[in-house]
Amino acid sequence: MIVTVQKPLDEILDSISPHSKILIAGCDGCTQPPRGLREAKVLSQLLELAGKLSNKEFQFKVTTLVKQCDSFLTASALKPQMDGMEAVLSLACGAGVQTVAELFPDIPVLPAQNSHFIGAEDREGGIMEDRCAACGDCLLALTGGICPVTRCSKGLLNGACGGANNGKCEMDPERDCAWELIFKRLERQGKLDRIKELRPPRNYQAKAWRLTP
Amino acid sequence: LNQQVAEPEVAIKLNEDYCSRCSICRSLCPFEAITKDAESGKIVLEIEKCQVCGICYSACPAKAIDTIYYDCGSLAKYLERVKPQYKSDSLVIMCKGSAPDFAVVERLFGVSKFIPLSVPCVGRISEELLLRALAMGIKKIYLLACDEDYCRFDRGSPLAGRRVLALNHLLEQLGYGREVITLKQNSLKVKVDRDLCISCGNCAFYCPYGAASLDSPGGAKFDLDACRGCGLCVAVCPAVALDLDNWERERISTLISQLLAEMKPPKILVFRCQWAVFSPLDGESNPHIRTIELPCSARVDAFHILEAFQRGADGVLIVACPEEDCRQEGASAKAQHWMEALQKRLNQIGFQDRLRFCFVARRYPEQFDKELQQFRQGIEAVVSKRRRK
Repeated sequence: MIVTVQKPLDEILDSISPHSKILIAGCDGCTQPPRGLREAKVLSQLLELAGKLSNKEFQFKVTTLVKQCDSFLTASALKPQMDGMEAVLSLACGAGVQTVAELFPDIPVLPAQNSHFIGAEDREGGIMEDRCAACGDCLLALTGGICPVTRCSKGLLNGACGGANNGKCEMDPERDCAWELIFKRLERQGKLDRIKELRPPRNYQAKAWRLTP
Repeated sequence: LNQQVAEPEVAIKLNEDYCSRCSICRSLCPFEAITKDAESGKIVLEIEKCQVCGICYSACPAKAIDTIYYDCGSLAKYLERVKPQYKSDSLVIMCKGSAPDFAVVERLFGVSKFIPLSVPCVGRISEELLLRALAMGIKKIYLLACDEDYCRFDRGSPLAGRRVLALNHLLEQLGYGREVITLKQNSLKVKVDRDLCISCGNCAFYCPYGAASLDSPGGAKFDLDACRGCGLCVAVCPAVALDLDNWERERISTLISQLLAEMKPPKILVFRCQWAVFSPLDGESNPHIRTIELPCSARVDAFHILEAFQRGADGVLIVACPEEDCRQEGASAKAQHWMEALQKRLNQIGFQDRLRFCFVARRYPEQFDKELQQFRQGIEAVVSKRRRK
């Protein structure tokens, strides 16, 4: 899932302040926490209240989309709703915002979220962590299902670096040493010989900017 | 040295002078709050363990137990006062925990006109009150209890069932006819619109009872037998796909508009778990304060709080049971967490100090009054500051 954090409301207010008729578009897709209809409506209520405090009258229309990053679905769902809208405030990740912006190049499409990473959520702990750099060259088969690209502070492909202290990273004592985790996992699976395999430098060309499947 | 520690006022008391030590209360208390002192033989009520269900009060043959909530005398007085307004000789006594819409009550009992009375647990309704109601000229009494496994106080609903059985038998012998008192059971559950579900899994993760699960494909699925109607899932569903029997979003919204329209500024709207404080029988008279009761503080919805502000509320107070009293497995603590998040966002738009969350225990009725008073003072300060600007 794409992990996003809502921008501070004053920043959002700043960006929408030149406009009054604004469509707030949630996204039911992969953002976590989910940014669907509830988030869109709560945001509209908060911004309306903020507007009242500064004598600014906003007119919000609230909607949500299945996947904002899908240009076909988004176009068909949004087009009928865009009449008279001066701006769109999107609750999607950066990809969703750009899709909407491209569909409606004449009006400003503004982000309500900061997108942080492709992550996993530990619901019990309420923690979300970066898990995938979308590097295009997946190593997980060799590393016991633990990604050193995102989870090792140094992104080392051949660890450990030797700087870990009690299993924690020397750059951030809060953070587990990914290579120590990999070592333990491979040991548990009886595949420690894999750690000796030298992994060549990453193929940065594999990080595609465009795919045509 | 003259400082005295004032004993806090408590919601339920045992008067030793009247107690005959029969132990009926002890055997009925669902929470082991009543014990017998081994040495003196005295019956002891431990207020810290008491959940104020009132079952002991309703069963004490010596009237040694007093309660400040819904005691027999005030209920009887209330009935006498409101009876003429309803022009009916049917009385429907419902537990707040499962009291449905009046239209549903009509359907359930097949009555169109009735005097409604909702109480926190029908298990606290003594035979005396039912007989006094009949003596007042009421011809038929309908009791709506919670389903037995749904009863907040475990033993309230089964006890009401046994009472009605015995009392009907007695009334028949006295020539009142058969089945003067009818008892039915009900419970309020979640409603899901699977067409709106986005399969995020929030309900499955947050449900305190494991009643929700997620199908792929298909979305959220509920085991209604396990659902306890707390409404927590409704408040966290990002797709607005869930709602709760009798506490529908729309209904609460309508109530918000109605109440705020009849209030005078500064307006304080209270969203309160219906179990944190038992609402006064006569409703509210202070024109600055109105309360919306919820099945659990976790049902409180950001939508509704913001709606209240939009419609002119100056302050919103959320009242929850302390974690140890919350019957919904820590739901009130979750509500606190979510309210703190909303407070932060309100602060970002310059709406400081307008939303407050507090825990109060119904066994200490002064706690709520204190919280409300404190909040009101704060809101009055905010409002007068705004006026000066």
